[in-house]
Amino acid sequence: MVIHVAGLVKRYREVVAVDELSFEVSKGELFGLLGPNGAGKTTTIRIIMDILQPDEGEVTVLGARPADAKERVGYLPEERGLFRDVKVLDTLIYLAELKGVSRADARRRGWALLERVDLDEWADRKVKDLSRGMQQRLQFIASLVHDPDLLILDEPFQGLDPVNTERLKGFVDDLREAGKTIVLSTHQMNLVEALCDRILLIHHGRAVLYDHLDAIKEEHAPNTVRLRSRETVSHLAGEIPGVLLVEADDGAFNLTLDEGVDPQDVLRHLVERRIDVREFEVAPVPLEDIFVEVVGGEET
Amino acid sequence: MDWGKIWVIARHEYLTSVRRLGFIIMTAAVPALGVVGLLLAMLLGGETRQIGDFLARQFEGADQPIGVVDESGFFSPIRPEYGEDFVPFLSEGAASDAVESGEISAALLVPEDYLETGRVVVLTVGSGFGAVEVGDSSDVRAFMVEHLLAGRVDEEIRERTARPLRPESRVISGGETRGEGPLSFVFTFVVPYMLSFFLIMTIFVSSGYLLRSVATEKETRVVELIISSVQPMELMAGKVMGLGAVGLTQVVVWLLSAIAFSGGLVAIVAAAGALVIPIRVMVLGVVYYLLGYTLYAILMAGIGALGTTMQESQQLAGFFSFFAAIPYMLSGFLFANPNALVARILSFFPLTAATMMMLRLPLAEVPWMDVAGSIAVLAASIPGALWVGAKLFRVGLLIYGKRPTVKEIWGIVTSKS
Repeated sequence: MVIHVAGLVKRYREVVAVDELSFEVSKGELFGLLGPNGAGKTTTIRIIMDILQPDEGEVTVLGARPADAKERVGYLPEERGLFRDVKVLDTLIYLAELKGVSRADARRRGWALLERVDLDEWADRKVKDLSRGMQQRLQFIASLVHDPDLLILDEPFQGLDPVNTERLKGFVDDLREAGKTIVLSTHQMNLVEALCDRILLIHHGRAVLYDHLDAIKEEHAPNTVRLRSRETVSHLAGEIPGVLLVEADDGAFNLTLDEGVDPQDVLRHLVERRIDVREFEVAPVPLEDIFVEVVGGEET
Repeated sequence: MDWGKIWVIARHEYLTSVRRLGFIIMTAAVPALGVVGLLLAMLLGGETRQIGDFLARQFEGADQPIGVVDESGFFSPIRPEYGEDFVPFLSEGAASDAVESGEISAALLVPEDYLETGRVVVLTVGSGFGAVEVGDSSDVRAFMVEHLLAGRVDEEIRERTARPLRPESRVISGGETRGEGPLSFVFTFVVPYMLSFFLIMTIFVSSGYLLRSVATEKETRVVELIISSVQPMELMAGKVMGLGAVGLTQVVVWLLSAIAFSGGLVAIVAAAGALVIPIRVMVLGVVYYLLGYTLYAILMAGIGALGTTMQESQQLAGFFSFFAAIPYMLSGFLFANPNALVARILSFFPLTAATMMMLRLPLAEVPWMDVAGSIAVLAASIPGALWVGAKLFRVGLLIYGKRPTVKEIWGIVTSKS
C-alpha cells in the first residue's frame, strides 16, 4: 500500500476540516481525490506531505511515517510558485537537492526533464523571464525532478490552456506506465474520468464516495436508455413493460425505466414490435452529475 | 535535523542573495563613496586640498604651532622648550595672514593690559569652537603660566604650577588593576563600541534579508513546495545560517573598505585594541555575538513568516530589533556604571543580554554570575525561540491573504501542531 489513511481527523479550532477519513492508495494506481472547495482535500494532502500534523488517526506513506517518506514523494501544490530570480535549471537542482538527490544527479535529471517539456533552451534564464505556460510546465517537472515513487498533484490542470493540458495529460500517462503511483486532486471531472482508476470524494471532511470509477458510475446510473430511431416513439411509455417515461432529446429519445428493469428486455420488446432502432445504449452518467448529486449541488 | 539539507538551503540563500543587484549596490555603496571622494580630490586638486587640510587640522591641531603677538611683554622671548609649538609674530596682520594660510592653527593676541584684565584675543578660521579649544588647551595654559612665572619662582614650582597633575588610569576590580596608560582608555571605549555596532548592524542587515527571503517565498507560494521536502526547522536553520553569512559579508566589505579609505587608521586601532583587550573579553565577545545573532535571526524568521506583505513583516520584526538597540542607547550611562543594577537586569533578559554584555565586558570586571547567567539565558532561549519560531514559521507560511491577529498567533504558539 502506497498511502494508508485511517481515522484521520484535523481540526482548525472549532472547524473540523477532516473528519474520520480513511482510504488507501495502491501501487501503480492513478487515484482521484475529489470534493468541493473546503471539503478537506488540501488539508488531507498536506498531512500526507507532513506539512500539517493530524489531530487523530494514522497515516503511512510508502510504508513509513509521512516525515520519513518526503524524499520519495513528489508534490505539486495548488498554491504554487517558483523563485522568480533563480535560473530555471538551478531551480530544479535546488529542489532536487532538498529531496536528497546529489548535485550531479540533480543536474542530469533536471536537463532531461527540461528537454522533455521543451524548456532546455531556457535552462540558463531566470524563471521570471518564462511565460505563464512555461512556468506551469516547470512547476510540474519540479515536482518529479527527484524521481519520486508517489506523485501528488493538487489541481495540476488549473489555469492550463488546452495545449498544455493535453501535454500534461500525456506526461501523467507516461508516469503511470512507468509504474508511478499518482494522486490527482482536481475539480475537472472530465479529466478524472479520462485518467483515474479509483476515486475518493470528500465532502465536509468525510468520505462520501470511495470506489472504482466504473463501480461508482454503475451504482449511480439513473436506469435510462437512449434510443435513436427514425420513428416517433413517444407513445411507447406504458406500452412497453417497464418504460415509465419517454423524452425527446436532441433527435433521440431518453427512456426512463422502472426500477429493476433490464435494458436488454426493453430492446427485445422494441425488436419484437419492429420499431426502427438506429442506436440503443444504456445512457452514461457523467461524473459531474454524480458529484453534484452527492454533494447536494453546492458550489464546486 | 538533516545538516546536509540545511547546508543546501544555506548555500542557496547565500548565493541568490549575494548575486542580487540590490545586495551588490548596497554592499558597493560604502567603497563607492570612498572612491568618489578620492576622484573628487583628484579632479578638484588644490581646492579639495584645503578641505583635506582643514580635516587634517581637526585631528592634528596639536602638531601645528600657535602664533603669539605679544604686546604685554610677558611672552617675549618665547622660551626654547615652547619654540616648536609657539611662534612669535610682530603684528596682528602678519599673524592673521599665517592663520588664514594654514601656517599656524591659531594666533593669540596678548594686549598691553593683559595682567590687569586677562584678556587674550584668539584668532582662528572656521567656527568659534577653535577659540574655545585653544582657551581650554592645557598646552596653552602651561605656556602662559610658565612665561608669567619665569624667573619669579623656583623652577620646579613653576613647572608644577604649569602642569599640576599627570593623570594615570588604574581601574581597581577584584584585586586586579588594569587599563594603565592613556591609550587603553580609548580602546576600552572604541573597541566595544565597534564590536557591538558590528553586532547590531549585522542583526539589522541580516534580518532584512531574512524577511525578504521569507516574505518572497511566501508571496510566490514556493514555500509549500519547500516545506514538503524539508522540515520547517531545517528551512529556518538554513536561512538563518545562509543569510547570516550574507549580512556578515556585507559588514566585512564595509569595514574593509572603511579601513582602506581611512588610511588603515581603523585597522591600527582594532589591532592595538586586540592587544589591550583581555583575551577573555574577546572570546566572550564572540560567544555573545553568535548567541545574540542566532536568537534574533530565529525570531526574525518566525515573525517574518507571519506578515502577508514585506511591509507587515518589517513592522513586526522592527519591534524586536528595538530591543537589541536598548543597551546601545544606554551606552553613555553604561560607560560610567557598567555594573549598575539596570545593566545587570538587562544582562539576564534574552533580547538584550548579548548586546548588554558585549558593552559591559571591556568596561569593568563583570561578576562571573552575570557572565554565566547571561550565557545560560541565551543558550536556554535559543531552543525556546526555535520552538516558537519554527511553529510560527510553519503555520505562518501557509496563511495566505491576511495577517493573523495576536489571539491567533497565541493560538498557533500554544497549539499542538
